[in-house]
Amino acid sequence: MTALLDVKSLTGGYQDTNVVFDISFKIEAGSLLGVLGRNGVGKTTLARLVQGSIPSSVGEITLAGQPIRDLPAHARRKLGLGYMPQTAMVFDDLTVHENLHLGHNATPPDRYFDLFPRLAERLKQPAGTMSGGERKILAFVRAMSEDTQLIILDEPSEGVQPENIDRMAECLRERVAKGASVLLCEQNLNMLAKVSDCFLGLDSGRIMMTGTKQTTTREDLSSVLSL
Amino acid sequence: MVSVLLPASALLAALLLVPELFGDFVAYQIGLYLIYGIAAQGIGFLWGKTGVLPLGQSLFFGIAAYFTAITLRAEGHLIVNLGLAAIALAAITGFAYVLAMLVFRGRNESGPYFSLITLALVMIAEQVAGTATSLTGGFNGMSGFSSLANLDPFGGFYYVIVAATVSVSLVLLLLNKMPVNLIARAVLDNEPRMQLLGFPTHVIKGAAFAFSAMIAALAGGLFASHQGIVTPTSTGFALSAELVILTAVGGRFHVLGPLIGAVVVGWASAELRDSFPYWELLMAVLFILVVLKAPGGIAELIEAAFRRIWPKPANETLPAHAAPSVRFDKSPVPLRFEDVHLQIGVVQILNGVSFETPSVGIVSVIGPNGAGKTSALNTITGNLAVTGGQITLGEHAIHSQPPHQALNSGIGRKRQVPSVFFSLSVAENLSIAMMANRLRLADLFRSSTYQWQSDALKGVLDHPEVPLAKGLNEPVEYLPQGHRQFLEYAMTVAAEPTVLLLDEPCAGLSPDETGLMTTLVQTYQATTKGLVIVIEHDMSIVEAISDKVLVLHLGQVLTFDTYDNVRQNPEVMAVYAGGTK
Amino acid sequence: MSSVLFLNLAWQISTLALVALGLAIVFGKLRIMNMAHGEFVMIGAYAPVITSTLGLPGWLQVPICLVTVGLIAFALERSIIRHLYGRMFDSLLATWGIAILLREVVELVFGRGYQSVTPPIPGTINLFGADYPAYRIAVIAGIILGFGCLYWWNTRSKVATQIKAMVGNPELAQAVGINTARLSAGAFVFGCCTAGLAGLVLAPTIRIEPMMGLDYLIRSFFALVVGGLGSLEGLGIGAGIIAGTQTFIGSVASQTYGYLAVLILSILFLWLKPNGIRSSSR
Repeated sequence: MTALLDVKSLTGGYQDTNVVFDISFKIEAGSLLGVLGRNGVGKTTLARLVQGSIPSSVGEITLAGQPIRDLPAHARRKLGLGYMPQTAMVFDDLTVHENLHLGHNATPPDRYFDLFPRLAERLKQPAGTMSGGERKILAFVRAMSEDTQLIILDEPSEGVQPENIDRMAECLRERVAKGASVLLCEQNLNMLAKVSDCFLGLDSGRIMMTGTKQTTTREDLSSVLSL
Repeated sequence: MVSVLLPASALLAALLLVPELFGDFVAYQIGLYLIYGIAAQGIGFLWGKTGVLPLGQSLFFGIAAYFTAITLRAEGHLIVNLGLAAIALAAITGFAYVLAMLVFRGRNESGPYFSLITLALVMIAEQVAGTATSLTGGFNGMSGFSSLANLDPFGGFYYVIVAATVSVSLVLLLLNKMPVNLIARAVLDNEPRMQLLGFPTHVIKGAAFAFSAMIAALAGGLFASHQGIVTPTSTGFALSAELVILTAVGGRFHVLGPLIGAVVVGWASAELRDSFPYWELLMAVLFILVVLKAPGGIAELIEAAFRRIWPKPANETLPAHAAPSVRFDKSPVPLRFEDVHLQIGVVQILNGVSFETPSVGIVSVIGPNGAGKTSALNTITGNLAVTGGQITLGEHAIHSQPPHQALNSGIGRKRQVPSVFFSLSVAENLSIAMMANRLRLADLFRSSTYQWQSDALKGVLDHPEVPLAKGLNEPVEYLPQGHRQFLEYAMTVAAEPTVLLLDEPCAGLSPDETGLMTTLVQTYQATTKGLVIVIEHDMSIVEAISDKVLVLHLGQVLTFDTYDNVRQNPEVMAVYAGGTK
Repeated sequence: MSSVLFLNLAWQISTLALVALGLAIVFGKLRIMNMAHGEFVMIGAYAPVITSTLGLPGWLQVPICLVTVGLIAFALERSIIRHLYGRMFDSLLATWGIAILLREVVELVFGRGYQSVTPPIPGTINLFGADYPAYRIAVIAGIILGFGCLYWWNTRSKVATQIKAMVGNPELAQAVGINTARLSAGAFVFGCCTAGLAGLVLAPTIRIEPMMGLDYLIRSFFALVVGGLGSLEGLGIGAGIIAGTQTFIGSVASQTYGYLAVLILSILFLWLKPNGIRSSSR
C-alpha cells in the first residue's frame, strides 16, 4: 500500500538559503505525524514546502500517488491539502463566516461550532477583531474542512487556552479515525503525545529522530526539544 | 570619518577639475545638472531613508527660484539678498514641515497619499505661476536680472554651485553616520513599533520632508541665479517627475547617487535628445527597470564593484557605555481602569472593566480566548481608543494619549506577535530601543549614542542562555520566531519602563525557553521594583510569577485576586480550567 | 440653482465616478497605487480618434477601446504589476514609469497636438427647462445604469471577498485554493478597462492629448480619499463631493480656485478623517 503523503529527499528554504536538507518521510492514510524540534530548526519551512507556499526544486512530494512538487499551492488545495499557517493564519479583514467559506472550503460541520461556541457567536465579525487564540481556532477549523485528505497544521496550540487545545486534539483524532492524514508541527508536548501516531524530530534542518507512538517515550520527545 | 571625507574631497576635486579639463561651457552645463542633482539629493534623503516619496519637489524649487528672481531684480545689496534668502528658506521649510506633519498624523501608512498630495500641489503651483502674471510674469516667466553678486554664470558662479554641492553632500554624508539615520530607517521599517518606543513618527517624517524641501529650495535659488530666467516649468510637474527619475536612476540610497544620476542623465539627454527620437521612451523604460531590478540605481552598481576590490571592513563592536537616564518618573504607581468600554464597529470588546493594580509586582491576566486581554493592553498604550470610562496611571489619565506617549508615561509594551525592525540587524534594533525616551536633540547627531546600554538590557544580553549576544550583526529578517520573542523583550525592557506590559511572551517558545523567559521577567521586576502585567495561558507560569491574577471574561473582570484564591473561585473554574505545556 | 448647473453637476459627478471606478478597484482593492490610471483614460479617449483616422464605422469604438486597453493592461500586469502586490510604494513608482511610457508612445503615434471628435449622438434634449446635449444625457443615464448593475453583481458575487482575501494575505488565499495570479490579472484588467471606457465616453467633450491623464488621476484619487476606499457607496459620495466642489467653485470663482478647494478638502480629509467617509474595514 502506498502512503498518502510521500516525501523523498526534500531540500529547500528561502531564496538562496536552504533551511531543511534531505528530508524523507511518509504519512499513511488515517495517521498523524507529529513534527517536533526547537525554534528555528525548520518545522515551519518543512510544512510550507509540502504545502506549496515555498517552491522547492530538490526532492519529491507525492500526494495520493500524484507528484505535487511543481504544483502551485492553490492546486494542491484542490487536491485536498488543508493548511493552517503559524502566523497570519486568518484573513483579518474578512468576517469569520467569510473566512470559513472562502475558496475551496466546504461548510464546517456543526460539531465544530458546538466545541468552539465563540466561532458561532462571532460569524459576522471581522476575524481581525478577534483575539490571537480565537484566530488560531478559526484557522484550525478552516484547515479541517471535510474535503481535505491531508491536513498540515503549524503550531495550532500556540496562544490557545488549554481546554481548547484538548478540543483540537479531539477533532484531530476524529478526522484521523475517518481516514485523514495529518502533519502536525508542535512544541506542546502534551498535545503531541496525545494525538500523534508517529514522530519526526528535527534539528538544524535534518531528521534527528523518528519513532512511533509505541517506541517513543516522553523523555525521547523532551530530549529533542532541549538539545 | 574616512567614509565621509573621502567621497566629499573626491567630489570637490572632480568638480574643480571640470572647467580646467573641459572648458567653461561644459562647466556651465554641468553646473545646471548639479543644481538638479542637489534637489535630487534631497529627494534621495527623504525617499531612501524614510520611504516617503515626494512627487512635488519642484514646488519648493520653483517658489525659491521665483523668490530669488524677484529679489535679484530689485537689485538689493548682497547681504540683504542673502538675508532674505535665509528667511525664505526658513519659511519654505516650515510650510513643508506643517504640511507633512498634518498628513502623516492621520495614519501610519499614508505614504502614497502624501505623494499624490505633493503631486497635486505642483500642478496647482504651475497653474498659479502661469496665471498670476503680475507676480510671476506669466508663461513667459521672469528674466532680466543679474546673477547673485553679479558672478558670471559661465565663470565664477560655477564655483558657488560647487560649494553648494559639496556642502550639501558633506551634510548628508555626516547625517548617514549619525543616529538620526538609523531612526529614519526604523520609521520606514516598523512605524507602530517606533511609536511604542516613544518616537512621534509623524514629527520625524515631517522633519525629514522639511529638510528635503529646504535642499530643493536651495537648488531653486541657485537655478534662478544661474539661468537668469524662471518660468512656470520651474515649478511644474515635468520637473518634479524628472527629479525623481534622476534620483532613482542615480541611486536613492547613496548620498552621491542623485548627483551621479543628474550628471549622467543630463549629459546623455543633451547628447541624444535631438538625434535619437526614442530618448524619452528609453528613459521611461530605464526607470521601470531600475524600480523593478535595481532599486539601488547606478550608485549601488558602482559600490558593488568598489566593494569587490575593497571589501567593507567588518563591523567592530564598540565598547558599551552607560546611557543617560530616562525622562519619565520612575516612582511606582498603580494602574487603574474605571468602567472602561471598548467597541470596535458593532463588536463590544471591553464591557465595563474596572480594577486597580498594586504599584509594584507582577499581575497576570488570564481568561478564555477572546476575553479582551490584548485589547485591554491596547487601550493602555493608546493603540485603541476607549469608547467609555477612563484609565489612569497614578494621577494621570492616559486613555486618550497617542501610542508614542505611552513610553513617556513609563509604559513599555511587548506585542503578541513579535514586532521588531526586520530590515535592521539585532544590534541596530537594540540601539533604537536604547534611544527610546533617552534621546535628546543633540544625541541625534552624536555617534556615541549607538553605544548606549542600560542595566536592564545588559541583564538580558549577558544571560548565557539568551540567544541574542552571538548574532548581534545578523539581520533580524531570518531570525526564528522564538529568538524574535527574546529580541522584542530585550528592546522593551531596554528603556526600563516602570510599567511593563507583556502579551504572551512565552508563545512559541519551547519549555526550556519558557523557563528562561519567566526568569528574565522575574529578575526584571525584582531589580526595577516596578509593575509587570503579563498575559499568559500557562497556569504553571501564572502560579510561579504572579502576585495577583486578573481574570477577564467576555470583556469584563471576573475576579482580581491572588493565584490561590483565583484557583478556588468557582466562577473561574466554570469558564477556565487552565493547564500547562 | 439653474437646471444647466444641475445637469452639469450630474455630468461631472457621473463621469468622475466612472473614471474613479477603475482606481477604486486597482488602488482600493488590489492596493496597487496606479499612477498610470489616467493614461488608461487617455488611451480610451483615443479610440474614436483611431476609428475616424482609419475610417472605421463608429460602433467599433467600443471594442477597439476595450481590446486596446485590455491588452495593454494584461501585458503590463503579467510583466510588471504582478511583482508589485504588497509593495504599494514600488507599485507607485513602477506605474509612474508606465505612465511616462504610455504618454510617450501615444505621443509618437498620434503627435503632441490636441485632437477632438464629434459626439455619436448629436443635438440637444430639453430637460428641466434647459437645452442640454443629448449625448451627455445618454452618458449620464448609461453610467447610472452601469453602476446599478455593478452594485447588484457585487452583492451576490464572491469575487470582491476573494480579492480582499488575496490582498490581505496572498499566501493564505493560495492555501485555501484561490488562483491568485488569475484573480489579480482579471481585476487589474477590468479596472483599467473601465478607465478606458471612461475615456471613450469623455472623448467627444474634451480635448484629447497625451498629457490629459494626470488630471483624471488626481481627481479620482481625491474622490477615493474623501469617499473612502472599499465600497461603491464611498466612491459615489467621493465623486459627488469632489466633482461637486470643483464644478461649483469653478463656476462662481475660477478653475484654479476650484482645484485649490479640492486639494485643501483632500488634505483636511487625510488629516482629520484618514479613512474617508465610508470605509469597508473598521
